[in-house]
Amino acid sequence: MTTTVTLAASMRGGTKDYGHGDAAVRALDGIDVDIAAAEFTAIMGPSGSGKSTLLHTLAGLDRLTAGESWIGEQQISSLSEDKITQVRRDKIGFVFQAFNLIPSLTARENITLPLDISGRDIDPAWFDEIIGILGLADRLTHLPAELSGGQQQRVAVARALVARPELIFADEPSGNLDSRSGAELLGFMRRAVKEFGQTIAMVTHDPSAASYADRVLFLADGRIVDEMREPTADRVLDRMKQMGH
Amino acid sequence: MFSLAVKSVKHNPKRLVLTAVAVALGVALASATFTLTNALSGGFHQLFDEIYSGTDVIVEEAPSDTDEDGDQFAAGESVFSKADLAAVQEVDGVASAVGGIQVMGAVLAKDFEPTGDLMAAGGAPSQLFNWAGDPRIDQSTLVEGRGPGADDEMVLDLDAAPRLGYAIGDQVSVATETGVTELELVGLVRFGESNSLQGATLGYMTEATAAELSGSEGYQNINVIVADGADKDEVAEAVSTVIPEGTRAITGEDKAAEQAEQLDELLQYIDIFAIAFALIALFVGSYIIVNTFRIIVTQRTREFGLLRAIGVSGRQLRTMILLEAVVIAVVASTAGILVGYLGALGLSALVEALSGNIFGTVTLPIDALLWGYALGALVTLVAALMPAIHASTISPMEALRESATESKKPLRLRNIVGGALAFLGVLAIVVGLYMDVPRPYVYVGAGAMVLIIGVTLLAAQVLVPLAYGLKSLLTRIFRVDGKLAANNIRREPRRSANTAAALMIGVMLLALVSTFTESLKSVVTDQFASSDADFFVLSTQGAIPAGAIETLEAQDGVDFVTTLSVDPAQLDGVAYSVATIDPETATAAFDYNTDPELTDLDGGVFIDPVIQELGIEVGDDLTLEGSEGSVTLEVTGLYLNEGDANFWVDEAAGAQLFGDFEILQAMVVLDDAVDPAAAQDQLAEALAADYPLVVLQAPDELAQFANQFIDLLLGVISAMLGAALIIAVLGVANTLLLSVTERTREIGLLRAVGVRRRSVRRMIRIESLVMAIFGTVLGMILGVGLGVALVKALEEFGFSSVAIPWTWLGIYVVLAIIAGVVAAMSPARRAAKLDILEAIAFDG
Repeated sequence: MTTTVTLAASMRGGTKDYGHGDAAVRALDGIDVDIAAAEFTAIMGPSGSGKSTLLHTLAGLDRLTAGESWIGEQQISSLSEDKITQVRRDKIGFVFQAFNLIPSLTARENITLPLDISGRDIDPAWFDEIIGILGLADRLTHLPAELSGGQQQRVAVARALVARPELIFADEPSGNLDSRSGAELLGFMRRAVKEFGQTIAMVTHDPSAASYADRVLFLADGRIVDEMREPTADRVLDRMKQMGH
Repeated sequence: MFSLAVKSVKHNPKRLVLTAVAVALGVALASATFTLTNALSGGFHQLFDEIYSGTDVIVEEAPSDTDEDGDQFAAGESVFSKADLAAVQEVDGVASAVGGIQVMGAVLAKDFEPTGDLMAAGGAPSQLFNWAGDPRIDQSTLVEGRGPGADDEMVLDLDAAPRLGYAIGDQVSVATETGVTELELVGLVRFGESNSLQGATLGYMTEATAAELSGSEGYQNINVIVADGADKDEVAEAVSTVIPEGTRAITGEDKAAEQAEQLDELLQYIDIFAIAFALIALFVGSYIIVNTFRIIVTQRTREFGLLRAIGVSGRQLRTMILLEAVVIAVVASTAGILVGYLGALGLSALVEALSGNIFGTVTLPIDALLWGYALGALVTLVAALMPAIHASTISPMEALRESATESKKPLRLRNIVGGALAFLGVLAIVVGLYMDVPRPYVYVGAGAMVLIIGVTLLAAQVLVPLAYGLKSLLTRIFRVDGKLAANNIRREPRRSANTAAALMIGVMLLALVSTFTESLKSVVTDQFASSDADFFVLSTQGAIPAGAIETLEAQDGVDFVTTLSVDPAQLDGVAYSVATIDPETATAAFDYNTDPELTDLDGGVFIDPVIQELGIEVGDDLTLEGSEGSVTLEVTGLYLNEGDANFWVDEAAGAQLFGDFEILQAMVVLDDAVDPAAAQDQLAEALAADYPLVVLQAPDELAQFANQFIDLLLGVISAMLGAALIIAVLGVANTLLLSVTERTREIGLLRAVGVRRRSVRRMIRIESLVMAIFGTVLGMILGVGLGVALVKALEEFGFSSVAIPWTWLGIYVVLAIIAGVVAAMSPARRAAKLDILEAIAFDG
């Protein structure tokens, strides 16, 4: 693993158990991971490999059973719920697979929601730039119900970008989209990393989605089993096949 | 956060409509009452201003503690002699002073026939005075004809004359204590500016006639006009020095203010009464609000989870939901206040059309605004608090879950809390009813409230086995629809229980009131049935003239007539009521609840439980002070019912205390051989000529009449509770609507596998019916239970037996079934209308 670059997030000995006694399931089994800044990292693995749990615990949405994790320099695994909420608010952006938007707010209001919550000012130039790249200029006054699935996900990406977070977590962002819209969305995310130096960590089970990343981590049974730099869809697919997927 | 809250309310107003209606109904009740009492107060303020505006100084009997809340329209005692009037006229600054005489009596309509009906001669009273000829003193101006010059002449107000069928020149029948007098109508007057008499009849006659008809020499008051430039207050002060003890001089303005203040105090009680019912309605409404917010929070779990994920803290989320509640409260309260105001306008117009203008200008008083918003906001916020706290604990992980379902928490904590609350409630009620504590009604009221909440919590536990038990029954009757309905009720026991409980409260109060009134009716009926009297004699206005009693006694077939008078007297400076009877005839005519029999009165006094509690016992001597003198009597027995009169004395003692006492009630006992039905006509005819206002009633007629009043009371209370019941039915509808939305996918699936629309509709209807009937039955059990406890606790007031209002309970069950069907209509239609494909694709 490279250690010369700045780290946006990291985890040491991350362990996560669900349930108790006989029903206990170990989702993460002593994971060590570093997410480098200004990189597009994909996390891949078959269902049940713990890739979503890794994302949730890294992002402070869920707590580790054992081990430590950091957002930048900030150790978050021992913080109170209120403090973690603040870290999420100030440093992290999210794009989920579905239900990314508040149904009662327009696209514009959804995009500026993180800034409104933390009381920060909107940088109009930055806002316009994002909207321009994502092609949402004529959709800003629409409610989520009036947008297509692809447009909804682009609004979610815009929301994640607008507050300039240190790190964006994306959970199967293209999972509900047709292949063309999905490719478009992933292209935008890659541009954000290349042009603005944004850090993105993305969970996916789709090899072609992973091919947009700079680096792919492979998870199986709660452990990181491999990683790949400069991936292509074919190489990722081959690696997945080896893992018995 | 605020703008997010507003947008969220605006985005999906439908699910909040019924909640808002519930709040608005409760607020409307309060707003309407405030508007009406305010208008009523305004109307009477105007009346008092007009009555007292002309007179500068009024000399009258000083108000004493004993008759402070006396009838506004009753004539006082004649306390001023002609010498007193002369003395007042001599005071510096007095331009003129005129003695006032009010005659106790009624102007009879031209076609008046004594029917023996107690209500016929009732209504607004007649006000009859001596004519001074000075508008400043009479408060009236002649508008037609002339003032009464001769002693056989009178004038009437310009509205009363045509209403009673008289024109100038007619002979007017005036019924007073001394009989019916015919006076010639010589003129019409207008009272004040607009003759606003609140429906009363106003008449004037000469001083000599007034004195003769009222049977007194002196004046009840003296009206003073001060000389130009004299200060009214100073004149009043000066007059005070020359008038007899126990009387006072007060300026007209002060008098008007005093009267208005007394009236406002009375109206305040009406306001409190209305607020109590508004609170009940809103309490029921709060159940709907709790349910609605609970369901909304569940449905929006993913939205809240998302907000938490992007950095909204739990506290902010809670604030947001409470802000949404505030938005609803403001909208609903505003609507409620307006609806209440419009309702009050309509009602006052209706009253005006039926019985004349008794209201002043109807405006929206500031009280209605303040109370409306305060009640609406309070109830909504308190009800939204628990769901808001629940929302604040939603973890951001919830946003990532696939479906939104309420987590299945066990009911154990709920049961423990519910059981404890129910126990505490029952304990407080028992303490309040049966133990000797100060302010027992606080214990009973608070206990009932706690018991209701406890039962609500426990109801969830009862519903689970109930639905389980009903499942096989419903399955047998309705097949698969019944089975699904039973499962649905069991699935969300908290929600179903809260919904049923809203109905339970309304029904409980109805059952409580009807148990109480039914018992009261049986007490009244028993009392009259146990009477040996053939007729009760009552006066429709004022006391029964002594002449009427004499007339009855003189009739053939009458064995004897016994009378009852109740007058105020003081014991150690505290005012009590004293009943004067003739022990022998009273006992023979009526079964008084005493120990020993009233015939053992023996020139002494019987005391009721209130006096017994002062520590006075049989054998003690006590001294009563009446209006005419004092008398020392030995306590010879106990009067066992509370609330009738404190002391019972014979006529000899009564005469010493009160002189000529006014007869409140009399009983006629006929000779054994006489047929009461035949005698009634004969006696009524004998009374008709001179005493048309005196009415004979057979005991069963009187019981019926009293029971009519009790039924009227029950009707009024039921109508006031109606708002609460409507809200409860809205609650059932609202819960079903929201749960249909929640179950969209499931219903779509049912439809997809071949369940017909009709079956879906029926499934919803069965759910509704089970909840409605469950709530009603619980409410009836609680209500009848509390009613029985209340009746038992009031035993010393003469409640001898408990009567369960079976008829009413039956009606309530039928109404509950109707309510269940009505509440299910809209949700069932919506569920049946769901498009199968859309429903399955529905993203909760």
